[in-house]
Order: sequence, then structure tokens, then C-alpha cells
Amino acid sequence: MPLKIERISQQLDRMARMIADSAPAREGFLGQAQDCLRSVNADALRQKLEWQRTQQIRIPWLVAVPRGDLSRSVPAPSPPADFCVVGSDASSIPLDRHSSVRYYVLNVGYAILCYGQKPDAVLEASSRLCFQDQDLYVFPQKWDVPIEGTLLGARMEVESLRISQQAMQQISRPTIALRDGPLILWTLQNESKEVKQALLRDLFEAMDALRQMGVPLAGYISYTGSRDVANSLRVWLCQGRPDECERCESSDYDLCQALATIHDRDLFIFLAQGERSELFGSSSQILEQYGRHRVDFFYMNVGEEIVRVEVPQWVGADADLLGLLHAAIYDQCRRSPAVPPYPPALQEAHEQAVITTTERRLVEGMVEQALGRHGQRVFRSAKDHSKRRRGV
Amino acid sequence: MSIGEIIETTSTAFVAESFELNSPPPLGSLVVVQVSSETGTSTGLDLYAVVIYGQTVGLDPSRRAVRRSTDKVFDAAIYDQHPQLEHTLRTEFGAALVGFVADSVVRQHLPSQPPPLHYSVHTASVEQVRRFTNSLHYLRLLLVPHGEVPPPQVLAANVREVYQQRGVDRLWLDAAAREIATLLQSDHQALLTVLYSIDPGKVSPSTVRGGQI
Amino acid sequence: MSQNRLGVVVDGAFNAGLTVRLDSRITTEQLRIGNFVVVEGQQNRYFSLISDIHLKATDPRLLADPPRDPSPFIAQALAGTSTYATVEVRPMLMLEKADESDVDALFEERGGPEPVRTIPMHFAELREATELDFSTVFGQEGGANFAMGTPLAMDIPICLRLDRFVERSNGVFGQSGTGKSFLARLLISGVIKTKIAVNLIFDMHDEYSFDKQTEDGHWVKGLRQIFGSQVLIYALDEAMGRRRGRNVDVTLKIGLNQIEEADIVLLSQELNLRQTAEATIGLLRDAFRQQWLLKLLQMTPEELGEFCKGSGAHPASMASLQRNLKRLQRQDYVVDEATFSALDDMVEALDRGKHVILQFGRYNSVLDYVLVSNLVTRRVRQRYEEKTRRYEETKEVADKPRPLMITIEEAHKFLNPAVARQTTFGTIAREMRKYNVTLLVIDQRPSGIDPEVMSQLGTRVSGKLTEERDIEAVLTGVSNRSALRGALTSLNTRQQILIMGHAVPMPIVMRTRQYDERFYQAMGARVETSQDAQTDILDLFGDP
Repeated sequence: MPLKIERISQQLDRMARMIADSAPAREGFLGQAQDCLRSVNADALRQKLEWQRTQQIRIPWLVAVPRGDLSRSVPAPSPPADFCVVGSDASSIPLDRHSSVRYYVLNVGYAILCYGQKPDAVLEASSRLCFQDQDLYVFPQKWDVPIEGTLLGARMEVESLRISQQAMQQISRPTIALRDGPLILWTLQNESKEVKQALLRDLFEAMDALRQMGVPLAGYISYTGSRDVANSLRVWLCQGRPDECERCESSDYDLCQALATIHDRDLFIFLAQGERSELFGSSSQILEQYGRHRVDFFYMNVGEEIVRVEVPQWVGADADLLGLLHAAIYDQCRRSPAVPPYPPALQEAHEQAVITTTERRLVEGMVEQALGRHGQRVFRSAKDHSKRRRGV
Repeated sequence: MSIGEIIETTSTAFVAESFELNSPPPLGSLVVVQVSSETGTSTGLDLYAVVIYGQTVGLDPSRRAVRRSTDKVFDAAIYDQHPQLEHTLRTEFGAALVGFVADSVVRQHLPSQPPPLHYSVHTASVEQVRRFTNSLHYLRLLLVPHGEVPPPQVLAANVREVYQQRGVDRLWLDAAAREIATLLQSDHQALLTVLYSIDPGKVSPSTVRGGQI
Repeated sequence: MSQNRLGVVVDGAFNAGLTVRLDSRITTEQLRIGNFVVVEGQQNRYFSLISDIHLKATDPRLLADPPRDPSPFIAQALAGTSTYATVEVRPMLMLEKADESDVDALFEERGGPEPVRTIPMHFAELREATELDFSTVFGQEGGANFAMGTPLAMDIPICLRLDRFVERSNGVFGQSGTGKSFLARLLISGVIKTKIAVNLIFDMHDEYSFDKQTEDGHWVKGLRQIFGSQVLIYALDEAMGRRRGRNVDVTLKIGLNQIEEADIVLLSQELNLRQTAEATIGLLRDAFRQQWLLKLLQMTPEELGEFCKGSGAHPASMASLQRNLKRLQRQDYVVDEATFSALDDMVEALDRGKHVILQFGRYNSVLDYVLVSNLVTRRVRQRYEEKTRRYEETKEVADKPRPLMITIEEAHKFLNPAVARQTTFGTIAREMRKYNVTLLVIDQRPSGIDPEVMSQLGTRVSGKLTEERDIEAVLTGVSNRSALRGALTSLNTRQQILIMGHAVPMPIVMRTRQYDERFYQAMGARVETSQDAQTDILDLFGDP
């Protein structure tokens, strides 16, 4: 065993002691940060952020643009007597670089859970073998930009939304659509504009459809690592330029530096169970492409956890849709047996979407067999062989 | 009535998934698998099996069931509040093969072939139960442990079920009790376990003494 | 499975018998030791007796820890399976199987059952005996077959072969209250009815001739009333003959000259004789021959003294002997001198087919009984011996003496080990049928009888016995004693008997035949004796 467990365990001890030592200081800064959150004038902060944006001052962090009072908390309304929650999730067998055959498998799982008078549930998966050019390339005519890596990830997100949207067309009662993960597909932001547009087109189509159906959509992000609001507080505290910290002489320097290590989920610890925060706009660049579907977010205490919920602005702007969404998410979390809770619709969607190792092997074998029946041999790279046969 | 589908099958027993959640056939009851005509029989085979266990578990073996009840929501209401449970749980039952009927002849030994996978499992009709249980040799096939339920409990459950289905047939019950006493003669603890649990009580056996079976 | 099936053979040895596991529906309480049962082998049918019953369990732990509150249901389920019973069965006779449908063939072609020479294999079926089984083994009523009783649970006759019965001396035993005298009466009636032998009955308690009240209060007929003049009544007591409706044919007198030394020795206990008495009598007998007793009793003290001097007898012994023997002289039936003509006439009557009952009347002490019985029997036997000799010379059928059966009660008085060698009865019992004379001994204490005599008894009929010594005695010389011992002790006090020996093919427990109106009629008794009185008188004076 190359891993030297005994070495790690010695280091572990040092780490734990260090964390413990710094805990009081962290607690202190967290208190100060929360005081700060309460004291911020939302309008002034918004103006400051807007001003900076117009001045082309590059803020090196993602910041949150408050749509209202930062420390406001909104309790969850009651859900309607009858309603549905549609959760979706996706997984894939990615393209195998070591195989001579180019294909990937997309598996979208969704769960339609209906509550009320006639409880019902649909748990389904939509599986697709993707091997044609339009599946393999963003621009199939030119065989350009293969869909793999982050692009495949984005494709999965889009597909899952598209398929679950199609699946919920029969539903007549109030419905919300939940996705596991962000709606802000920031991973695409380094792609070319054409690529972004090509991939987001389907997303927007699905979102349009949902909007027409009056179904609020949300991305549910558990254990979020985002710091958008904390970063906004840093901007609020900053008396110079946020990109010139080395010149900073402010008395709030220490707090500002500490905020860099504080997550939003810690800041919003004051939310009571079921309560959500005010909506925030995101400064993520990808949102420039979203247009009418620009995404805002809020934090919410679902019980034992502060989660981040991302919603299109057409949801945030509609009190009814937002209320339904808020109520349904909290209701989902109360139905969850897990601690911290997790919406059952997403749980079941995940169960449907997940592809096990056995299934992966099976598909691989089936591909080889199918090709074999047509006289085609599958070649594998030497590296792949060595991974599969770990002889000594 | 079709109640489930075979999802595991061997020469001695099979496991079927129940069509209805939380409602496997009663322990010890007789179920029938109809196998279409294959080997020289004109009418096909009716394989008879005795239910040896029932269980409800997560559909995915790696997902364990968790507590879902609250102050207000418990028991049946849980299934209303968590409609996905109908789809994430499954009820299955095991059944030990005890014989078959081929060409209208009751055979109380193992069939030559296990029942085919994915075939339907039916409850045995009262008439089928009556015909099959007229002879008691099948009881010895239940002595082999198959699942978690010990054979004496399966035996007892079967006798109770059949006794009721035969319309509280006291003569049959007495004969079955004697058969079991013979089968378990070297293990009197197991024997008493069975006898205590099939004792119908009340009715005096003197009224049926000397019954010819 | 036959209706009356009991179980199957599971173990066995020719010498030890068979072990049969009872079917679960059979309870041990349905069976009795000594029951006549049948084992169906493949080729033979085995007529057998149940000799023992065992309770068993397949799991010994069940016995160590029996169910604490067994409901009837559980007890019933365990019975015959986990707990079960076995019976030990003794095959006694076997019969080769024939076509069951051909009942006649069972009797005619292959003869009767034979002694067992083998045993059946495993799982041979044990069943209750049927009517056919009983008649196969014991024959059907009629001829020499005399119905003695019925099986305990059936109403069919079990027969005794009387022709074989009278070939040997026999015994009737049973503790008091078991109806020995009724049994004897049944047997004697059978012998009279079938004319297989003639009877001489020493009727100590006046039980055989006329009406007698039974223990439960009703009256039963005597042999005279059933058989009329075929039966002659002799009496010692003259007063007997004067009672109404109880005619005595002959009043018997005994002469002192007829009393022999052996008679006196037999009475040593009753007469308080000393050890020296026998020697003293010998001296007297040498001196006076047949007149010895008369002389002794007539002697004055002086004559006594002289005789002692002359013969060397001890004077005190002589005096004591004389004093003791005077008791004999005081009995009314004893006269100084008598001839044997009365006894010889009696023998002639017997020879004509008459049956004789000697009633003792008031003289029913042991002294009287032993003295008279022994004396009479001695004479009868002498005469039979002579007749037999003559028959052996002439070989004329007319000279052949009729077989004679002599019935004695309190048999141990004559046949105890101390005297059996000296009494006539002992001789008869030992020499068997040599002179066509046999005994029917009746006793409640068979252990008092000389084992040598017991072993010579051909057929033994016994009611319940509880004394171990008596049981042993009755079973002297019998095989399968263990089975029969159980049967003997388990008999009901009344009405149940065990018969074994020469006259039955195998030992059998039965319910005694009723001694009642039906029996009288079966024996040919007249409904009213008066209307046939004329015939009686004719009968009395000679066979036509």
C-alpha cells in the first residue's frame, strides 16, 4: 500500500488542532460579518455595485446584488392542498477516450411526486445512446467542438430539464420543477459565444415551456460553497478598489480578509426553519446569455441546512410562483427522512438517473457485442488495458 | 388470481415479487405457477408451492428504508405523504415447491424443472387447495430450511392456512398433526412448537377419534 | 388396511415373540394381556397372544420433559407418533394361508393350525381375531367340541375338545369367588352331555346335585335336575335322603375294615397323629390284617398293653393312636364292618354310563372328605384296573371300561407333596389314562399341590389368581409363561378364565359360558321334571 496511513494520521492531528485554535477567531469574525449584513443599506450597496460595474472596475469575486433588504427573512407559506413536485437529475457514461468507438450515454431520471387527495408517483428514467454527429459535436457540420467534459455536463443539465418538462405535461395541479444543481451553468462561461448559445438554446426552450405552464423552476444546491453575499459585504466595506487590496489601509481590513473565508451558508444561519432570504442577483458572466431567463438566487433554511436555491427572474418576480416554490421546497424537506433533509423528488430522480458500475460494464459489453455482430472490432488503448488487468 | 412474478427460481423454491406492496400471500398458503405444456403432458403443469416468507424492502438493495413517521403522519398515512414509496419499495415472497399437478394427477414431489423466471404466481383456489392437500406427503418437503422462517413455523402456518381453506376440516387437521408428529418425532421441541400453534382449541377430539384418513 | 387392524410387526425373535407397533388410533386400553390376536404373515396366519404392552417415545427428551399442558388435540397428535405403544405378541399356532374366499378349504384340506415353526417378517399386520379365526383354532360347537365360553369382546363360542380333555387329569383353579364349582359343573355337564366319560364327583359341599343359591342370590340347577336319572346321588348322610325333592339313590356306609393304613396316614393332620403312628399301624396291620382298626378300637387298656408287649409297640403311642382314631368310629357313616358291594355296584353303575355324585351332607369336614374320597377312589380304581386287565385279555369292545373322570375338591389335601405319592389320587394323576381313570382337581391354592402332579395335568382352567406362588404353580410346565402370567393376573374376578393345555390348541382367555336356562336346555334338561318322572325311573334301573 503506497499510501502511508501513519504519516497522514500524524498530520491529521496537527490539522485538527489548528482548526480548533482558529475557531474562536472565526466565530468572532462571523459575528462581525452578520452585524455587517444587518447594517448594510441594500440600496446603497446595489448602487455601489452598479457604479463599479459601469466603471468597468473589475471585481475579482462573484458578488450578489441584493434585490431587497439583505437580512430580511421570509417564512414559508403553506403549500396548496394538491400539488406536484417534479425532480430531475442526470448522469452519463462519458465518451471513452481509450476506445475506438465514440459514443456516450445520457440517462435522465425524473420523479413526479403528487401530494394531496390522490397521492401518486411516477419514477422514470430516459436513457439515450448518443453516437451521431449532432450528439457528438456542438457543430456537427464541421465536426467541431466535441461534446465532452464540461460541455457534456452542461448537456446533461439541459437534457434533464427538457425531458422532465416534457414528462410533466399531463399534470393539472400546481407543480414545481426542481433540478439538482445550479441553473447558472457557469462552467460554460469560458466557451465561445456560439458554443454557449448552441447549448443554452434547449435550456431556454424548456424554461419557456415551464413559464407558459406556470411551473416555477428552481435549481437546488445543497451544501453550497458560494460566497456571493459575503463578497458583496467585502465590496460594501471596501473604501478603495476591490482589486487593490494590497494598498488597503482600512480598519475593516481584517474583517474583509476574514469574509473571504466565510461561506454564505454561514452568514444566513439566522434564518429560521423554512425561512428564505431576500432574492439576490448573480454577477456570473454566463447570465449575460440568459436574457429573459436570467437567474437569481436565495438562501433557505430547510432544517439543519442553509441551501442555495436558484430561480429564473420570471419566478422571482411572480409572488405566487415564488410562494408556491418556497412552500413546496420546504414541504419536500419536511417529508425527507434524511438529516439534513433533501427533497424526495430529487432523491428519487437521482436514484433513477444513477448508472451503476455494473451497468456501465454491461453497456460497454453490449456495444462491443453489437459491433462484433457487424464485423467491427473495438480497439482499446494500451493504457486502458493496463488499467483493466492489474497483474503483478 | 395472479399475485406476483417470479424473480428468482431454483429447483426447490422461488422468489416472486408481489404485485401489491406490503401484501404478500399469507405465510404457509399455497400458490400455483402454471407452466404451459412442454414435456408430453396434455394440459401443462400446475406447480404448487408453499409461501415460506414475505418481505418488503427497498427496491434498490443498497437503499435502506428509513423512518418516516411524525407526530401526525404515521402508518398508512406515510404512504399518502410519500407517494414515491410505492415505487421505491417492493414486496417479495419466497415459496418452496411441494409438488405439481400434471394430467389431473397430484404429485407431491419436486418437479423436474424449476418454474420459469418471470412467470406469474397465482393464489391456489379452494378447490386446488382441497385436491392438493388430500395427501399429506408434501409436508415433508417443508422440513428443509429455505429462508429465515424456521421449517416448523412454515409447517404450522401451512397447516393453519389449509385447515381454514378446507373449511375447518377437523379430520384433516388431526391427520396433519399426526403426520407432523411423525416427521418431527426426533425433535420434540420443534414438534410441540408446531402443535401448539395449530391447536384449534375448544373442540373435543373425541368426536373425531378413529376417523379414517 | 383391515378394519380390525391393530398395528404392524417391527421386531421379534422366534424365541422371544414379536414386537408390534400399535397404530396411532389404537389405544393400549383397547387391548388386554392374553388377548387372542392374529398376525397375517405372507404365507401363514399366526394365531397369537398378547403377552405384554409397552409405552414408548421416539424422542426420549419428550419423556424427560413432557408437554406441560397438553390439550386433547396435542395429546392425540402425539399418541401413536412421538409417543406410541408396542405390544409383545406370542405366536402360538400357525396356519398356512389358503384362498380366503374358499372357507371350506380352511377346514378340510389342510387340517387345523399347527404349532409355530417360524415367525413373520417386518410389517406383517396384527389384527383382532375374527369369528372365523376363533372357529379355525377352537373348532365349532358340536361333537366333542364343547363351548366353554366366548371371547371377551365377541359373542361366539370358544370350544374345548372334551375327548382330549378326558384323556388326562385336569385342574380347575382360581381364588375363592372366581366360580370354580360353576366351571366344574360346566365341564362335567359337557362330559355328561357328550357321553365321552362318566363322572364320579366327591361333592363336599353338596353343590352339584340339586339347586344351589349363587352368591348373587338366584338359584341354579344341579346336575341331577339337568340330566335326571343319568346322575345317581350317593350320600353319607341318611338325613339327606329325607329332604323333599332331593332323592338320594344310595346311602353309603364305610366299614372300619375298609379303612387302610394309607387312609390314616393321609389324615395324620386331621387326627393329630404322632410321627410314630405309621409304624404303630404297621404293627397292628401285621397282626390283624383288615381287622386292624376294628381290633384297635375295641382293645381294652389291658389288651393294648399286651399287644405292646407282644409286638414291641410303644404303649403311649398305641394309647394315643387308639384315642385319636376313635373319632372315626364316632362318625355315623362308619360301621364296624361293611362289604364293598355298595362300591362295586357303584362302579357297575358307572360302567353302565351313569354318573355318580357322592354327597357328604353334614359330614363335610376335611376328615370325612379325605377319608371317604380316598377310600372310595381306591376301590374304584382297583375295579377299573381289573376291568382294564380283562379288556386287555379279551379285547372285547364290550369289556372296555368307560373312561372315568373323578372330581375332587380341596385337591391339595390329597395331592400335596407330602402325601401325593401315597394317595390313590396321586397315583391316578401320575399314571394318567392308563386305566381310563382321570381326575378333575379343583383347588384355590394350586401351590399346595405337588409340582409333579401339576405338571401332569393335561388341561388347566383357571380363574383369577393373585398369589405369585399359585400363578407359578398353575403355569408349571407350560411354555410362554410370561405371557400367560400377565393374562392370569389381569382376569376379572368373575366370569373370566384362562384355559390352556391339552384340550385347547392354544391358551385362551375367555368369558365363561353362562350357567343358565339356555345352558340347561342346551344340555337337554327337561323343562319340568315331573312329567318325565316315569322315564327317570326307567333310566335308573338299566340302560335299554
